Amino acid sequence: MSSKQNVFEINLDLPDEQLLELSNKIGVGLSLDEMKSVKNYFKEKGRNPTDIEIQAIGQAWSEHCCYKSSKNLLKKFIFNIEAPQNIFVIKEDAGVVEFDKDYAYVLALESHNHPSAVEPYGGAATGVGGILRDVVCMGAQPVALIDPIFFGPLDLPYDQLPKGLKHPEFLFRGVVAGIRDYGNRVGIPTVSGSVYFHPGYTGNCLVNVGCVGIIKKEDIIHSRVKELGDIFVMVGGRTGKDGIHGVNFASAELDETSETSSRSAVQAGDPLTKEPLIHACLEANAKKLLNGMKDLGGGGLSCVVGEMAHAGGFGAKIKLEKVLLKEKGMKPWEIWISESQERMMLAVSKENLSKVLEIFDMWDVEAVVIGEAIAEKRVLVYYQGEKIFDMDSEFLTGGPLYARDVKIVKRDQKDIQTQAPKDTNDILIKMLSDPNIASKDWVILQYDHTVRGSTSLTPLYGDVVNFSPQDSSIVKPVEELSKGLVISTAVNPFLLEYDPYWGAASAIDEIYRNIVAVGGRPHSLADCLNFGNPEKPESFGDFYQAVTGLNFATKDLQISFSSGNVSLYNESMTGSCPPTPTIVGIGIIDDVDKKITSNFKKEGNSIYLIGNTNREFGGSLYYRLLGINGGISPKMNPENLMNYSKTLLSCMESGIIVSCHDLSEGGLAVAIAEMSFGSDFGASIDLPVLKNMRADEFIFSESNTRWVVEVKNDDRFESILRNANVPFLKLGKVKGNRIEMKQNGVKIIDASVEKLREKWKNVIWEHLG
Amino acid sequence: MDKSEIKVCVLRIEGTNNEEELYYAFKRLGASPELVHLKKLKDIFDYNCLMIPGGFSTGDYVRAGAIFASRIRAKIGNNLHKFIDDGWPVGGICNGFQVLVELGVLPGFTRREYPDACLFLNDSARFECRPTLLKHESKGKCVFTRNIPKGEIMLVPSAHGEGKLLFPKDKESEYYNKLFENDQVVFRYVDKDGEYAGYPWNPNGSAYNIAGICNEAGNVFGMMPHPERAFFDKNKSGMSGMNVFKSVLDYIEEK
Repeated sequence: MSSKQNVFEINLDLPDEQLLELSNKIGVGLSLDEMKSVKNYFKEKGRNPTDIEIQAIGQAWSEHCCYKSSKNLLKKFIFNIEAPQNIFVIKEDAGVVEFDKDYAYVLALESHNHPSAVEPYGGAATGVGGILRDVVCMGAQPVALIDPIFFGPLDLPYDQLPKGLKHPEFLFRGVVAGIRDYGNRVGIPTVSGSVYFHPGYTGNCLVNVGCVGIIKKEDIIHSRVKELGDIFVMVGGRTGKDGIHGVNFASAELDETSETSSRSAVQAGDPLTKEPLIHACLEANAKKLLNGMKDLGGGGLSCVVGEMAHAGGFGAKIKLEKVLLKEKGMKPWEIWISESQERMMLAVSKENLSKVLEIFDMWDVEAVVIGEAIAEKRVLVYYQGEKIFDMDSEFLTGGPLYARDVKIVKRDQKDIQTQAPKDTNDILIKMLSDPNIASKDWVILQYDHTVRGSTSLTPLYGDVVNFSPQDSSIVKPVEELSKGLVISTAVNPFLLEYDPYWGAASAIDEIYRNIVAVGGRPHSLADCLNFGNPEKPESFGDFYQAVTGLNFATKDLQISFSSGNVSLYNESMTGSCPPTPTIVGIGIIDDVDKKITSNFKKEGNSIYLIGNTNREFGGSLYYRLLGINGGISPKMNPENLMNYSKTLLSCMESGIIVSCHDLSEGGLAVAIAEMSFGSDFGASIDLPVLKNMRADEFIFSESNTRWVVEVKNDDRFESILRNANVPFLKLGKVKGNRIEMKQNGVKIIDASVEKLREKWKNVIWEHLG
Repeated sequence: MDKSEIKVCVLRIEGTNNEEELYYAFKRLGASPELVHLKKLKDIFDYNCLMIPGGFSTGDYVRAGAIFASRIRAKIGNNLHKFIDDGWPVGGICNGFQVLVELGVLPGFTRREYPDACLFLNDSARFECRPTLLKHESKGKCVFTRNIPKGEIMLVPSAHGEGKLLFPKDKESEYYNKLFENDQVVFRYVDKDGEYAGYPWNPNGSAYNIAGICNEAGNVFGMMPHPERAFFDKNKSGMSGMNVFKSVLDYIEEK
């Protein structure tokens, strides 16, 4: 191979230290061992690699693309959990799960953390764009977007902000605006998500993005070449210099220079190319004109061509000069690995080509033939007639696998005795004004969550202008079916920071509770595992504990992970992010009109607590407010979770339960307050006298597997629960417009709903206006 | 004309993204809606009703609806005016309302090729998606709401960043007077007691809480909130966004 056409030979005949230096210099992010195996591969071939070849290996072997650190553990603890409703999971860009006899839903969840830390608006927007493509490339119509996001404290003083980092408020505003402007413009409702503030995210904000789609089973398409001679048609946006080395950037720690050195790794999004691109891809697929479809994401063309060909058992021959470019003067290796947005790759048979091109022309979306599938399992790339790339796809997509060192940091947990607070009322007000509890309407109302006209339950719901937060949202995805998809998000980084194993198990408990709270049957899960540098044994120890916790909580629930993503290296000069396994859960509700909402419905109805309350304050909001680092972290028991859930669902089905809310941060007190916010009513509660717990501890405990329900037929309700062995406690009634909680006649909480609602509603607005 | 023969043209281009729910609104009522890309529209007179859906046509990177409006003008031009003069209904929801205002057919006091009103940035200066309560104000002129009794209050979701109806400063009072005198005010935002209340009941700061208007003849209609998203949320007297589509189909059936 010659060095015409701006392609250069890379000399690997170097001593070790220079090999590593070379890897850094050309930005491929390969370790010394990896560089050595590349060197050996080419030594056997009797030549040096070209720049485009070594760049392609850098893409394919990045943590982001090949999961080299996490794969072993995922195989052992996550992928092997089985559930009968799964059609196919993990292997493709998104998981496919049965919805009814004719339809399946598609679930995908990813992180876009590093780009968002450098350029929050573009990073978040292209995160939405990428997850949409993951769903569309299965042939599915996206019906819902999900956005869990995590930042440092909004009130962080500027003089405490490390050099090179952006202020959490700036990141938060930019990320929300990016999600809003992209999601709203493509017309897919953003129905679920979460917002967390924690000092550990100051240097590593997390932007996770999920998408749910719906598809007729007969239309499911795979991300692979189907037949010899299939033509590669590249459609959508043009290829530019944006997003070069995105996956390598995502597989390293951020540092002071990330702003200047990595700005070009962030892509520019264009929702108005995406919107017609979705229409055109789905139309071509529904007309059975496509043999395969895959999105261009991390690693760009280099990954998509190799993986599509390899998955079909073929090779590929590409004419790189055919790729449509945004700008002149791009080097071939840049074209090959650019991660420019809004691009998809189709595999099309010769006889369908003209029909496919016609559809894209109708939508004014550019489509161009760039190559074809060949029998030999190699990827060959030509540029202006000259061969510049020749590698076997096995080696390219193989990637290394590592068993990283795991060091478990022991966290001794002891129960702590505290003083009773002077003013419990004041603590409740502080909780409601904590940014992690406070209303997120500033965010949620900026996202269009009702577009497509299929949102049956919005994330905030109540009394027109006053809302209660809902545990899940519901989307009715098929016109002729009354069945709905229940969609929710869960993870509490404070619990995980305190105890990664039980914190992860608690996230599963919470997602299950959230789905059940609105009347849904939990059906499948997606996980986005955001952790620190896997090369640091403590950090990887957290990862290990979290995945074993997920495994413990999930393995007997008859639901499993249909899709997932691992984001490691969320680490900067401020340290690692808290362990954050974001969980998205999907449930099924047979009739969306039977949904249960969390706002109180009618004065005089009884209020019950379901589940057991224990002295579990490790990582709790209560201890944070008291400034205590200690206590026992909340445990969970999957068997109880299933039994309580099943019983609650049958009570909902028969109409005895009229509202329901799960207990999470801030425990019972916060849950009852939130139920009143979306209604005109307050509550009058008589707290039990317990031997091992004071009243304040009882109302702020964060024990798992608990709900508050509003009930309209007490006798029937109690007998059903008793028969099913579900622990419950009658607490009081929906009443008046104050929240009153007393024990033995002594009031410990007494405040007007109006006043509490104001505190809860205004905090984020006061920060951001 | 039988309902099933009523052909409704739901016009789409890139970025109109509320067309499917609008299509289903008519489909559920037994009419024959069609999703028609502006490029493929042959003759507007092939249809009995023209609907412009919501969304972000062409991205709305300039004034909302402006580009879609000028593409419609270039494609069907005078035929649109003829279609309207012949009494065929033309409706726009959200971005579609913005398009009809940009086309100059709403409020449509005089025929002109440039807009004499606009839907301006919300007072809150942000896109907001929230439920709103609408009071029906038309005395019977608007063909899209004839089945809805005057004074009826319905829950309809809003989702827009630019929904505040504005007139040229020097013509403001004249135009508002005309709107009310001509029975062109169709929906106004109210609170739970049916009073004309401020934010957030009125999500955008529109004067007189105006949410939707029609032209003088009553056959061109635009509203910011989304009746096509409120199909199943009926109020106590059984009214929902569905009644907007029902009314116009009844009108066409009788025409």
